[in-house]
Amino acid sequence: MIELVILLLIPLVVTFVAPFFNSRNATYLSFVSFMVPFFGILYYLMAGTSFEIPITKVSAPIGEFYLLADPIANAFGLTVCIVSAMVSIYSLPYMKHRFEEMEYEVESEFKKYIFLYNLYAVSMLWLVYCGNLILLYIFLELSLLASFALIYLYGYGNRQWVAVLYFVWTHIAGVLALIGFLIIAYENSTLALKNIAAISYTAWLLIFLGMLVKLPGLGPHIWLPWAHAEAPTPVSALLSPLTVGLAGFILLRIYLTDPWFIDMYRTPILIYALISSIYAGFSVFKQKDYKKLLAYSTVSQMGYCLIAICLGSYGAIALVIQYISHAFGKSILFMTAGAIIAVYHGLRDVEKMGGLHEYIPTISNAALLGFMTLGGILTIGMFGEFFILKGIVDIYEFNIWVIVAVVFVFILSGFYGFYTLKIIFYGTPKGFKTPKIDRMLDVPLYVIGLLSIAFIFPPLATGLLNALKVILGVLP
Amino acid sequence: MIELIALLYLAPIFCSIPIAIAWGMEKKPEYARNLPMLSVFGLFISLLVSLYILFRVDVPTYTIEWLPEYNINFVFIFDYLSKYMGVLTAFIAFLIGVYGLEYMKDDYRLGWYWMFFNVFTASMLLVVYSDNLLMLLIGWEGLGIASWGLIGHWFRDDDPLSYVGIIDRKVWKLNMFWSPSFGGWRAISTIRFGDMPMFFAVAAIYALTGNLNISEIDWAALFHHIGPAGTLILILCFLMGPFTKSAQLPFSEWLMTAMTGPTTVSALLHSATMVAAGTYLFMRFSWYVEPWHVHSLGLEYIYILVLFSGLLSALYGAIVATGCLERKVLLAASTMSSLGLMFASSAASMWLGKIALYVAFWYLIVHAFAKATLFLVAGHLIHVTHDRFCVGDKEVAKKMKLAFIVTIFATISLSGIPPFTAYWVKSAMDEVMHHLTHEFGALPLTLLILTSIAYAAFLAKFLSLNFIKGEKAHLHLHGGNVMGLAYSIMVSMLAVLLILIVGEYEPHAGEFLKEGFVANSFMVGVAVLASYSFALYVPRIKQLSSVGTFLSDRMYLPFLNDFILPKVGWFIAKIIDYCNKAIDFFCHKAIPSAFEGWSIGIRAIQSGELNKYIKIVVGCVILVLAIISVLGW
Repeated sequence: MIELVILLLIPLVVTFVAPFFNSRNATYLSFVSFMVPFFGILYYLMAGTSFEIPITKVSAPIGEFYLLADPIANAFGLTVCIVSAMVSIYSLPYMKHRFEEMEYEVESEFKKYIFLYNLYAVSMLWLVYCGNLILLYIFLELSLLASFALIYLYGYGNRQWVAVLYFVWTHIAGVLALIGFLIIAYENSTLALKNIAAISYTAWLLIFLGMLVKLPGLGPHIWLPWAHAEAPTPVSALLSPLTVGLAGFILLRIYLTDPWFIDMYRTPILIYALISSIYAGFSVFKQKDYKKLLAYSTVSQMGYCLIAICLGSYGAIALVIQYISHAFGKSILFMTAGAIIAVYHGLRDVEKMGGLHEYIPTISNAALLGFMTLGGILTIGMFGEFFILKGIVDIYEFNIWVIVAVVFVFILSGFYGFYTLKIIFYGTPKGFKTPKIDRMLDVPLYVIGLLSIAFIFPPLATGLLNALKVILGVLP
Repeated sequence: MIELIALLYLAPIFCSIPIAIAWGMEKKPEYARNLPMLSVFGLFISLLVSLYILFRVDVPTYTIEWLPEYNINFVFIFDYLSKYMGVLTAFIAFLIGVYGLEYMKDDYRLGWYWMFFNVFTASMLLVVYSDNLLMLLIGWEGLGIASWGLIGHWFRDDDPLSYVGIIDRKVWKLNMFWSPSFGGWRAISTIRFGDMPMFFAVAAIYALTGNLNISEIDWAALFHHIGPAGTLILILCFLMGPFTKSAQLPFSEWLMTAMTGPTTVSALLHSATMVAAGTYLFMRFSWYVEPWHVHSLGLEYIYILVLFSGLLSALYGAIVATGCLERKVLLAASTMSSLGLMFASSAASMWLGKIALYVAFWYLIVHAFAKATLFLVAGHLIHVTHDRFCVGDKEVAKKMKLAFIVTIFATISLSGIPPFTAYWVKSAMDEVMHHLTHEFGALPLTLLILTSIAYAAFLAKFLSLNFIKGEKAHLHLHGGNVMGLAYSIMVSMLAVLLILIVGEYEPHAGEFLKEGFVANSFMVGVAVLASYSFALYVPRIKQLSSVGTFLSDRMYLPFLNDFILPKVGWFIAKIIDYCNKAIDFFCHKAIPSAFEGWSIGIRAIQSGELNKYIKIVVGCVILVLAIISVLGW
C-alpha cells in the first residue's frame, strides 16, 4: 500500500530535480519517473486492489485527507502515466524545434519547460488519487496554472490572448466546482469522499455546470478549440487527452458518491450530450487547421463521456474506458500533428497537405492507429462503445431515437477520422521533401497505439474490466 | 488446443511483421523483396491448422477466458459451417498469397500490402470460427480496416490502371471515375454505417440475455420477450452489418469502387471471402436461431425482407454486370449478385428449414472458388494487356491458352450449365424458390431464373470480350507462371467440388443431386445454356449501347453515394461552421468589445467638472419624477 505513495512521489520529486540536468537527461528522467508508476499502477489494476492511504486529518468541515486507490483511480492514473511518459520523450525534439523557431536559448529554456511539464502531468496524476475534494481542487488548480504557463510561454499565434482565454474559462469551471465543494463541506461537515452522505441540489448543479465548462459541452466549448490548437503540441497532447477528461472523472466520483442528480435529469443531459457530440463531430469536417480539427474532435469525444454518465452502471464503466481510449487516440493524433509541424516548419493547414504518406509513412500509420482508437476499431475504444450501447438498452430499452442518435454519433466519429486521414495522408503527393524524422517523434506514438490494441485482448482487457466491475456494485 | 488457436491467428500476423518493418526502414534492406515469402508461409500455417480442425477436431466449442466476470469469452466453434468455411478461407488466402508473390513483386508498398493481407486473413478466420458475438466483432472490424487499407493501397492515385470508371468522364455534375483513395473512403464509410447498428444489436443482445454466444442464446425466448417490434428493430440493426459488408442494395456502391485495389485483393476480399462474411454470418445466425421453429412475427418480416432484398440485389447486380465493360467491375457486380442469391436462399430457411442453409452455403463455396479464379485471370490479363477494360481477340486465347481454358471452365461451372458444379447447387436453389410458391407466388422463382439467365450472359460476355471477340490488344507476355499455377489450382477445386456432389461423398451436398434431375431445374439449365451461348456469340449489341451505358453507370446509384448524401452532410457541416464562426465572433470579439465600449462610456462621465455632475443629477431627478407622474402615483 505504501508503495503506491512512493510510486506517486517519484514523478513529484523528479519535477523539482529534472531542471538541474541537461535537456536529454532531464527528458529521460521524466520518462522513467512516469514509467515506473505506470507499471506499478498496472499491477494494482490487474490485481483489482482497492485501498485507502490516510494522509492527515483536518478539522471539520474539511475532513480527512487520504489517497483513494480504487480501480477507477488506477485506470485513470495508468492513462495519465503512460501518456505523460510518451509525450515527455516526444517533447525533446519537438520543443527544441519550437525554441529554435522562437529564437530562445534551447538548454536554459528547456529547464523551464520540463519543470512546468512535469508539474502539469504530476498534478493530474495526484488528482485522480485524491480522496478529499479540496485536495482534488488543489491539484486541479495546479494543473491549470502549469498548463496556462506553458501555453502563455510557448504557444502559437496570439498565445497570450489564448492563454488568458483558457485561464478564465477553466477558472470559471474551477470556481463553480469549488463553490459546489464548499456547499458539500458545510452540509456534510466533511469533504472526504467516503464520508459524504448526501449532495444537495445546488452543490450538484454547480459542480455539474463547472465540469460542463471544463469537459466541455456545447456552448462552453468556445475556449477549447483555441487553447488546444494554439498550445505547443506536447501540451496539446496532454490538455486534450488527459485534462479535459478529468472533468468526467470528477463527475464520476461525485456520481458514485450520490447519484440522484444524474438519475433525475438523465434525459435532458443525454439529449444535450448527443447534440454536443453531433455538433462537434460535424464541425470537424470544415476545419482547415489540423490541430483545431483535433480539438473539435475532442469536444465530440467528450460528448461520449457525458452520454456514458447518463447510462447507469455500465455507462460508468464506459466512461472510464472512453477516457482511456480517447487519451490514447488523441495523444497519438496530436503528436502526429506536432510531427508534421516540426518536420515541415509549422505546416498545419490541411488543405496544403495531401499525400503526406509518401513522405512521412511512420507518422501517417500512427495517425491511422490514432483514428482507429477514436473510432473504437480494433482498439480499446470498442469496449467503450460496447458498454455505452449496453447502457442504452439498460436504461432506455428500445427507444429508437436514442439508439439512432448514439449510433449516429459513433458513425460520425468514424467518418471524420477516415475523412481526415484521406485528405491529409492519401491522394496525390504534393511534392514535399522527404524529411529525416527523429525516432523520438514517432516511436512513442506506436507504443501508445500498440497498447491501445493490446487492451482489447487478455490479459490486459481481462484485468481492466474485471477490476472495473466494482462500479457495478455501487450503482443500481 | 490453445497452441493451435494461437498458431491459426498469430502465424499470419507475426509472419508479416518483418516485411512491414523492413519496408518502413529509411533504407530498404536488400532482402526486403524476399520477405513476402515469409508472409505466405504464415498463411500456409493457417491453412494447415484449418485442415487439422476440419479433420481432427471433434469438440463443438473451445473457450478461452476473456472477460469471464461479464460472461464474455473467446468461444471458438467448430461446426459444419465453420469447419468448411475456415478451410475455404485459409486455402484461398494462401493460394492468392502465392499468386500475389508474382503479381505484386514490383510494387512500391509491400509492407503495407502484406501486413493488411495477413491481418485480413486472421480477422476472417476469427469471424469464421467465433461463436461469441463480441469476439466476432473484433474480426469484423479487422475485415473492415483491412479492406480499407487494401482498396486504398495505391494511395498516390497516379496510376490510371488502378482507377474505376473512364477517367475524366462526368455525368451531369458527378465524376464517374473513382481513385483508390476515394474507393477506400467509400468502403470504410459504408461499412461503418452498417457496423455501428450491428454493434448496437450485439450490445442489446448482451443487455437482454447476458450471453453473447450465438449457439447458446435462447433466441425464441428473447424474441418473445421483446415482442415483434423489438425483434424487428434488433434484427434489422444486426443485419445492417451483413447488408453493408455483403454490398446488398442500396449499399452496393462501395464494392464496385473497391476494384481500385490490387486484383489479388479483389479476388480474396471482394469476392471470395470478406464480402461473403455477411452472408456467412446470416447463415450462422439462422443455423442457431432456427427460424423454422420460432413463431415470431417480427422475425418473419425480417426474413421476408432479406429474401426479397437478396433477390433484387441479385437481379440488379446481374443486370448491371451485363452492361459493364471493365473486367473487375463486371466481376464485382456479379459478386454482388451471387451474394444476393446467398441471402435469399438462406432466408428461405424460414419456411423450408435447414436445407435452404445448406444450399446457400454450398453456393458460397462454389462461388468463392469460381469467382476467385476469374479475378485472378482478370489480374493476369490486366498485367498482360495493361488495360482494365475488356479487350482481347483470339490472339489472346492462343497465346494464353491456360488462362483461356481456365476461364471457360470457371464460367461454365459458375453459370449453372448442366452438368457442371454450380448446376447442382443452382438446381437445389430453384427447388427452394419453387417451394416458396405457397407463400409468395411465382415471384421468387421468377427473379431467380431471370438472375441466372443474366448471370450466364455476362459470364459468357466476359469470356468472349477477353479472349474471342474483343478488340485487338497489345500483349506484354513475360513471366506469369506462378499466377497461372495459382488459378489453375483454384479452378481445379471446382472439379473437386463437382466430384464431391455427383459422387455423393459429402452427404448434404449429395442431396442436391436429385434436384438436378427434376425437369424444372433442367429447363432452367437449358435456358442458362442458351443465354450463355448467345452472349458468347454476341457479346455486345451496338443498338443497345445507350442501355449499356445506363447499366455500366450502375443505374446511377452512385448519385446516392457521391452526390445526395455528401450534399446533405456538407450542408449540415456548413451551417455548423457558420454557427462556430458566429460563436467565435460573439464571444471573442463582439462581447469583449461591447464591454470595452461600455467601460469607456462610463469612464467618460468622470470628467471632474462639477457642472457636468450637477447636470447628471438634475437629469436623473427629472427622469424619476417623469416616470412617477406617468405611472400616476
